[in-house]
Amino acid sequence: MTQHTESAALVVDERAADALPAATPGRLDLRRLRKVYGTDHHAVPAVRDIDLEINPGEFLTLLGPSGCGKTTTLRMIAGFETPTAGELLLDGDVITGMAPNHRPMAMVFQSYALFPHLTVFDNVAYGLRLKKLPGTRVREEVETVLTSMNLAAFADRAPHQLSGGQQQRVALARALVMRPKVLLFDEPLSNLDAKLRVQMRGEIRRLQRRLGITTIFVTHDQDEAMTMSDRIVVMNVGVIEQVDTPGEIYRHPASVFVADFIGRANFLDAEVSDVGPDTARITVLGREWTVPRHPDATADSAPALLVRPESVRLRPAREDSVGGSTGRTISSMFYGQSVEYDIETEAGNIVASVADPHEDQTFEPGDLVDVSFEAARTWLLPVPGAGAP
Amino acid sequence: MTATLLPGAPAPTEAPAPGRRRSGPRSGRDLTLVATVVVVAVVLVAIVGLPLLRILLAAFSEEGWGIVSSMLTDPVNRRILWNTVQLGVIVSLVGTLVGFVMAYAQVRLDFRGKRIMHLIALMPIVSPPFAVATAAITLFGRNGIVSSDLLGLGVDIYGLGGLVLVLSMSFFPVAYMNLKGMLESLDPSLDEAAALLGASKGKVFRTVTLPMLVPGIAGSVLLLFVESIADLANPLVLGGDYTVLASRAYLAVTGEYNVAGGAAYSLVLLVPALSVFLVQRYWVGRQNVVSVTGKPSGTPELVRTPALRIPILTAAVLVCLLVVTMYSTVVVGGFVKIFGVNNEFTLSHYRFVLAGIGSDAMFTTTLLALVATPLAGILGMLIAWLVVRKLRRTSGLMDFVGMLGLSVPGTVLGIGYAIAFNTPTVFANRQWFPAVAGGSAIFGGAMAIVMVFVARSLPSGQRSGISALQQINPAIDEASTSLGADSLTTFRKVTLPLIRPALLSGLTYAFARSMTTLSPIVFITTPQTKIMTSQILAEVDAGRFGNAFAYCAILIVIVLSVIGLLNLALLHPSLRGVNRR
Ligand SMILES: Nc1ncnc2c1ncn2[C@@H]1O[C@H](COP(=O)(O)OP(=O)(O)OP(=O)(O)O)[C@@H](O)[C@H]1O
Ligand SMILES: [Mg+2]
Repeated sequence: MTQHTESAALVVDERAADALPAATPGRLDLRRLRKVYGTDHHAVPAVRDIDLEINPGEFLTLLGPSGCGKTTTLRMIAGFETPTAGELLLDGDVITGMAPNHRPMAMVFQSYALFPHLTVFDNVAYGLRLKKLPGTRVREEVETVLTSMNLAAFADRAPHQLSGGQQQRVALARALVMRPKVLLFDEPLSNLDAKLRVQMRGEIRRLQRRLGITTIFVTHDQDEAMTMSDRIVVMNVGVIEQVDTPGEIYRHPASVFVADFIGRANFLDAEVSDVGPDTARITVLGREWTVPRHPDATADSAPALLVRPESVRLRPAREDSVGGSTGRTISSMFYGQSVEYDIETEAGNIVASVADPHEDQTFEPGDLVDVSFEAARTWLLPVPGAGAP
Repeated sequence: MTATLLPGAPAPTEAPAPGRRRSGPRSGRDLTLVATVVVVAVVLVAIVGLPLLRILLAAFSEEGWGIVSSMLTDPVNRRILWNTVQLGVIVSLVGTLVGFVMAYAQVRLDFRGKRIMHLIALMPIVSPPFAVATAAITLFGRNGIVSSDLLGLGVDIYGLGGLVLVLSMSFFPVAYMNLKGMLESLDPSLDEAAALLGASKGKVFRTVTLPMLVPGIAGSVLLLFVESIADLANPLVLGGDYTVLASRAYLAVTGEYNVAGGAAYSLVLLVPALSVFLVQRYWVGRQNVVSVTGKPSGTPELVRTPALRIPILTAAVLVCLLVVTMYSTVVVGGFVKIFGVNNEFTLSHYRFVLAGIGSDAMFTTTLLALVATPLAGILGMLIAWLVVRKLRRTSGLMDFVGMLGLSVPGTVLGIGYAIAFNTPTVFANRQWFPAVAGGSAIFGGAMAIVMVFVARSLPSGQRSGISALQQINPAIDEASTSLGADSLTTFRKVTLPLIRPALLSGLTYAFARSMTTLSPIVFITTPQTKIMTSQILAEVDAGRFGNAFAYCAILIVIVLSVIGLLNLALLHPSLRGVNRR
């Protein structure tokens, strides 16, 4: 199958998808959920007492670096791992000890986990047949789902006769046909090539919106998280660093870790002179600024100023040496839609990204520039381990 | 919970209370899993646990312990112990050497007739224990065709020499299979690397290939050691004055009616057998992982150096000739009056087995083996699945107990069965089960025989099941669970179809094992349930070699036909392919 037809077939059949019955979205509560692997002698704490509420119909993403406990959390929700401590509630009922096959959830695996000995049709029908639905009902429902996922033509194929993207859709169909209250994904797109991955993001999100299923999506790809989620949970070494909308996470990260993990960040040492309710008066690069601040970013906490590369402003320098707000261009890279500079300043190196610059407004390595930023788009953050005791 | 998944189903009737609320009975852990574990555990206890326990109790009784503690002090017992060890060491070395030569020829040499050589090397696996021994007596015995008629020698095959010959021939296929797999999976790039460094072929062999094979060779030596000290059939037929622990235990139980004595000798036999099993499992097993890449990563380079090629090929051909001669003797011997003495054609032996008194044993044995085979196959796959997928802390234990049926010498298992099951199972003053072994037991003792068959043949299925399961992505099981299947349903609908080839090889081996096993059977066969192998023993004992040959030949034919049918049935396209709707 060529790349062209592959992409054409990918689009979910919008009209057919309307025939998919909506599910009753579930509400999930994680209460002080903990998982420690291994024995008493060699304990591996994977998830440390996390609290989390997931609203009905919400698309929630678990995001974090490798080994931070995303999969473990998801598998505890699915019931494949038993929590060491804590409780899990679905619609108010404690389901911590419920067997995974009794949970009204469905999971889509990274490896798709299609049953290799069954056809596409039988893969999708598997769960319905287990529920002892009459044969005609099974056929109807499976055909509806297959049609809406543009898979009807493949009903009689074996999984290994499908492309990766098609297998992915079968896995999704197999989960959707069960009308789960909660839909779980563990890095479902990571085995696809880059282009397909971007397309599938949209597909999954649209279907989820249409069906209104509560969805938990594990990924370590921040683009995926940013583009798909209602809210993102950023995890690090088994704890939740922040839970918020993509916009808030990007603009107002709760910690240096989150700021660093999501997008790219410059951190500048800031001298705090005055602290207001939401803002602070600081000195950075020899100038005074009023910037929005994190509630914990006080004068004592030796905070750092987060400046995203795209909110750095560069102008030709007035001074003739590095110091204060003047820096020297070290390198420049042209990306088409933007140019990216590495600037040496007295506060360390700063990455600046200038969108669509005019040809005569670019800088060359060695050029001196005046560095400033949009104060409203910066964010003053406390630095862990620093500051007054 | 499931009901709310149905489209249009009403929301849960009880309003979701804030805070905690215990959910209904459905919420418990997967009950079918618990039930499966319990059933498997109970079966394992019945077929291996209880007999072993009873043997230990008898061996540690006053009378039994007296014999155990005299093993080194009493000269007769010391002799028996020495004989056993001596036989075990020699056979394990000779058998491994033969197996290695055959495997090396198969993998590294290029010659015509490879496939045939492979089949010849596997012949001893599907044949009953006496085929080789009886043929050896006919060919090389006091009045043997080769030794006496052709060469005019007065050799005595009874004793150590004959046992080494026959046991090495019977067991070398185990080493052959082991080492062949290992040679095939050796990373040929290592050989190439050494060759690039300027080493000659012979030097490559000595410095690279051989050291890499050490774990495999050690494993084979250990396996063969256990097989040969555990063997009962050949020492009974060929041993003469050369008594080993297994034949001594047999004599104690069947000749002297001294059960404690039998248990005592069994214990002495059990200790080395189990230790070797443990060493093989935990030490050699680990070494193998380190030295072998696991999958053939290239085609091993064929060796063409005459200095290596000629001696190895000659040896391999000689071994094949010997095997072929032995089995030809079995075939011819069944059709003549007394092979070597009166070579007149006759069908009387076959008539005896097929239509006469012997047909009884033939039918019973085949029937019981056919009953035991699926049981062993399914049980083996279930254990494999529990071990690989479901159990955590107890998986090692279950794997170990499942393997016991094979790692415990057959003689020991048989004596354990006789002690444990000739009388009703009584525990806490209650009869739990009537006698299942012996003439007065239910089904004329057939049940105990099926149990022994299952215990003996279960491990091979378990092994192949475990390695097959380790290849299957666990997410497939979880997908099934997530779609609502309980553990047993997942096993039936997903796991079992996926490990069909392993199941097939498990079943094949189980059937061959059941049909050819003797050592545990002689202790529990009854006049109502005659088993072919023990009938063959009786015929050999009585000197009616012709009948024994006919029995052996028919047994081999039955085993091969059932294996063929199994392959056809389980690999039939309608079953193997993707199920159409
Ligand atoms: N079965 C296990 N036994 C022991 N430790 C485990 C097990 N599974 C996970 N861990 C450990 O728990 C921690 C969290 O693992 P987890 O799989 O949840 O990470 P993750 O966030 O999904 O990472 P990735 O992005 O790499 O998939 C890791 O340190 C991991 O090594
Ligand atoms: Mg993961």
